[in-house]
Amino acid sequence: MVNYFFRRLLRGCVSVAVAVSIIMLLLFVLLDKTLIFAEDEQYQKLANNQRTNYMYTVWEKYGYLDLVSYNDYLNELVASGELDEDLKARIATIGRTPEKDSDEVKKYVQQFTDYYSSQGYTVTRLDAVMASPNRVANGGGQSLFASLNTPTLTRVVGFFTSLLTFDNIHYVEEDIGERGLTFTLYDPVYGGEKFSPAIIGNGTFHKYLLYFDDKFPFIHQNFVKLTLGTSFSVNKGVDVFQTMTQSQGAYVQSMTYYPSGLNEISADDLHTATYSAGSREMNLVYQDRYSDDYTNVSLVKKSHSKIYYSFIISIIASCLTYALGLPLGILMAKKKDTWVDNLGNAYVIFMIAVPSLSYFFMFKAIATKLGIPTVFSLENPSIAMYFTPVLVSTISAVSGQMKWMRRYMVDQMNSDYAKFARAEGLSEFEIFTKHIFKNAAIPITHGIPGTIIMALSGSIMMENIYTVPGVGGLLVQAIGAYDNSVIVGVAFFYGALSIISSILGDITMSIMDPRISYTAKAR
Amino acid sequence: MAEKKTCIDLSGTGLTDEELFARVPQDTSAVEKIVAPRYSYWRSVGRVFLSKRLNVIALALLVVVLAFTYIYPMFYTYDKFENLMDAAAKHLTPAAAIQKFGFHLRWIFGTGESGQPTFDAIWNGARISISIAILCTAINYTVGVVVGALWGFAKRVDVVMNEIRNVISVVPGTLVTSVMVLTFSPSFKTLVFAMCITGWISIAYSLRTQVIIIRDREYNLASKCLGTSTFHIATRNILPYMISFIVTMVATSIPGCIGTEAFLSYIGLGISENTLGKIVNTAQGALTVPGWEWEFWCPVLLSAFISIILFLVGQGLGDAADPRTHML
Repeated sequence: MVNYFFRRLLRGCVSVAVAVSIIMLLLFVLLDKTLIFAEDEQYQKLANNQRTNYMYTVWEKYGYLDLVSYNDYLNELVASGELDEDLKARIATIGRTPEKDSDEVKKYVQQFTDYYSSQGYTVTRLDAVMASPNRVANGGGQSLFASLNTPTLTRVVGFFTSLLTFDNIHYVEEDIGERGLTFTLYDPVYGGEKFSPAIIGNGTFHKYLLYFDDKFPFIHQNFVKLTLGTSFSVNKGVDVFQTMTQSQGAYVQSMTYYPSGLNEISADDLHTATYSAGSREMNLVYQDRYSDDYTNVSLVKKSHSKIYYSFIISIIASCLTYALGLPLGILMAKKKDTWVDNLGNAYVIFMIAVPSLSYFFMFKAIATKLGIPTVFSLENPSIAMYFTPVLVSTISAVSGQMKWMRRYMVDQMNSDYAKFARAEGLSEFEIFTKHIFKNAAIPITHGIPGTIIMALSGSIMMENIYTVPGVGGLLVQAIGAYDNSVIVGVAFFYGALSIISSILGDITMSIMDPRISYTAKAR
Repeated sequence: MAEKKTCIDLSGTGLTDEELFARVPQDTSAVEKIVAPRYSYWRSVGRVFLSKRLNVIALALLVVVLAFTYIYPMFYTYDKFENLMDAAAKHLTPAAAIQKFGFHLRWIFGTGESGQPTFDAIWNGARISISIAILCTAINYTVGVVVGALWGFAKRVDVVMNEIRNVISVVPGTLVTSVMVLTFSPSFKTLVFAMCITGWISIAYSLRTQVIIIRDREYNLASKCLGTSTFHIATRNILPYMISFIVTMVATSIPGCIGTEAFLSYIGLGISENTLGKIVNTAQGALTVPGWEWEFWCPVLLSAFISIILFLVGQGLGDAADPRTHML
């Protein structure tokens, strides 16, 4: 059995990998790559050649292509000793047009062009854009560079190889003193007096590898990090997974105990300290605060992470759905063909038939009328703002639960063992609770792990309509802003969750019903 | 006490015993015939469907809905900007609109933000939405049923298709549709293509499961032993079982497609034409202004009504299509 589920997991991983490759193929091959600048402010500000240069720099940063500028090439020549600094200084600036190049420059430009053309690169030379015969237009400076598009396969491989990063004590290349991990029971971040275990590393990328704090899920680790791709416009420069899991909202300042012994009111979250080579020497503030180069910290924010809001709302809604849907489904089955059943069926039909957008808006309208907040605000959090999202999710999900529970109960009610139990003289209550429900609940249990796990992914429409700052909106936001790395990352996240929940669902079902076996031999 | 049976008096016929009781030769062709009342599948479907009052009402309403969707726009062409210059024509309640323009069906739901008649706008949008839904459902189910049947029957296809399904089910459906809409221009064709490209696989998969359940039943084994071809088994023995299942799925699929379209237009990936989703979506802005609620509730409720009617007719047909309900 373990063998079977292990194979399922492996096949699931392959499926996710293939799916992610297909998505990447769609996004990076079919989609015009200039679309990513649709929401980019910096792009709008730049003009002429400067804009083109910016585009290529960004494309290189986000893995679209490999870019070599003429100056990079000259620097390389200097490094390898083929060129001296004087000559480099003379030839570094190319003419406004190829005709205006000096002979020396011409020679090296030709060399550059030949070298990179032979390697498959496309060499682009942008002539200066003139505003008047003697004045170069804004951002119109000439430039010369070579670019080579990265094959999608390389990108796919790159995505998977950089998916998991393991922190180790040899991460830091510079001399950092004695490398190693220290375990402490009294976390220095809390002043060193409060009991709070932590593992602190030296030589690792993160300073704190394991620590406790008051943020969900309370215990945090930095040994293994999930990297899903860097965002371009949704949350610029930040990894997708970090975008999902980091806290949001306004900064919270509190007494911070810096490693140097300085105690100061600040919003720095020292637990997030990462290594930044030579940063302490460069910055006077860092010299006051830190005793080493682990200075790169993020700030403590007031509100929870996206994943937290999605999860909390979905999980409460799911609990309510089961708590309401199962009894109602049973009731409908018990009172089959009476007005109770008909009313329940009408409700189920309404929820199936009506577009969810319509009823989400309807509930929003009703909630507004009743004076319940329909907008999720991070500035003034209150319990009431959870009310509508939870209620609406429950109302829409409960119909499905009712439908299936009724179906399973009715199927079991007509089975021979139920008739036999009745003939034996068992009370209806006993038949329902001890026999029918037990069997009808088996298919229901299959969905429970999935419900819990998929709660992490939130709900796209609900979160958008009630402005919940959750994970669900991320995909839509990324699609709207053409943020391809985020789309790929989120899709991978969803895919992995669905694979895990399907396997866990099968395991739960086989635990609940010992008759179910997944191996051919036992059948 | 047994009652004495009266025999028929044959003496009056004037026939001899030999004439009355002659041996009839055995008719070998009649042996194979089973005498049963004449049965026509589609007539029985119609009979069962029309025997329920709810079905008749739903069907009548469906005719009305379809007439308004496809025939009504021929007489009153919808132009969103016909009253654009008339400032007094905007955001009117039904009463105010009727007072201004005189009584006409067009004005019974008031006017919208550009002074357009909401009633006309809804039917204009419904035309595209329902067309998308019907077209997508037709394509998805044609492909889904054919592939599903093959998938269920052929073991080798099963292995390959299961893997394909594993891959496709991992990708969120919203993503596939949105990437398609982003890649190609957001037009009617693109949307239908995007909604069909992966839509058929879930249909094929559920059909495959049903086929596998019924495929190895005793009556099919017996049929196979008697030499019936696989094609005959598929179309004559199994398909009748599947029809109610397929029709029920089709019933949920049409409102489902309308919902998907509404969702896509909500997240900004809808098509440029006027659709139900777009109308509902723009209408929500009216909700915040007191006195404009009509603009919101009319399209929302009417779109809900259209979906429910389509669903009810489909569900009724699904019940009626099940041969087990045809017994008198």
